[in-house]
Amino acid sequence: MAQPFLEFARSLAQSGAHDVAVDWLRNVPGLPPIMQTAHLLSIAVVLGSTVLLSLRTLGLAVPSQLPQEMARRFSPWTWGALPILLISGAIFVLARPQRYFTNPVFGIKVALFLPALVLAGLLYRELKQSDAIGPRARVLAGLNLLAWTAIVLAGRWIAYADYLFPPE
Amino acid sequence: MTEFWGWLEMLPLAGRIGESWWFPLLESIHVLTAMFVVGSILWVDLRLLGASGMRYAASRFTKELVSWTWGAFAIALISGFGMFMTRASWYVLNRAFQIKLLLLVLAAANMVLFHIWGARGIGQWDHGRPALHARIAGAASLVIWAGVTLAGRWTGHLS
Repeated sequence: MAQPFLEFARSLAQSGAHDVAVDWLRNVPGLPPIMQTAHLLSIAVVLGSTVLLSLRTLGLAVPSQLPQEMARRFSPWTWGALPILLISGAIFVLARPQRYFTNPVFGIKVALFLPALVLAGLLYRELKQSDAIGPRARVLAGLNLLAWTAIVLAGRWIAYADYLFPPE
Repeated sequence: MTEFWGWLEMLPLAGRIGESWWFPLLESIHVLTAMFVVGSILWVDLRLLGASGMRYAASRFTKELVSWTWGAFAIALISGFGMFMTRASWYVLNRAFQIKLLLLVLAAANMVLFHIWGARGIGQWDHGRPALHARIAGAASLVIWAGVTLAGRWTGHLS
């Protein structure tokens, strides 16, 4: 992977935060599965909000619920889950930065994450304005659905990157 | 029973899954669909708690959502079984996996009990604050599904 990423990983590995993450994950009983569960449950909240709203926008789910009301009800949940999602993910990256920053699937996941956040934000903004669903909202919903699905799938594939990118 | 688990593992399909990219594919699909199950049930539970979506009738709100929940659950179940059959006799002895199955039974029992009670009297609170038994069912469901997630993730950490 590109040199700047490796250097970033190396500087993370030398930081105090790295030592703390390693110490906690090794010595706090059950912390790895508990942190992963926090990560998973925040994923559940993000899927239950942005993906469900996208399905609704595309006319595929919960027809009696109103898009504008849904957007207002869901957006605090999406943004509220984000800090938990990031912290619970970051602790594993901090503990083994080289493992993640040399992993191409992790690269894909991170590269998709920012656009997915922007897409979610745009979809919420669009739907909060009115209950009428225009072509713009539909395109945003379709892209949201694809982006978040890909991110969740990629997350699990980080551990199996060798199947997709065989080491030479 | 031990023989049955051994037989499952010996099936050509089990070998195929366990030794190829099929396993991570099933695992990633399992995570995606299972977390959609939890994320969609969240809204049902919050509605039953009287905490969210109060402008909708509880009956219709739940019915519309749950069709997607069941669809995702079916995929999670199939992909989960695909992983299970690769090491069935290991999974049945895995303490975290046993707890996960127990919690799934509890989730089902919670749902069945709620339907038995809910069928009576839902008309009285369908458009407003749910009755006590509905609120209890909603709270129980939240806790149980978080537990299913934790036990499921813990399964992979035991050797």
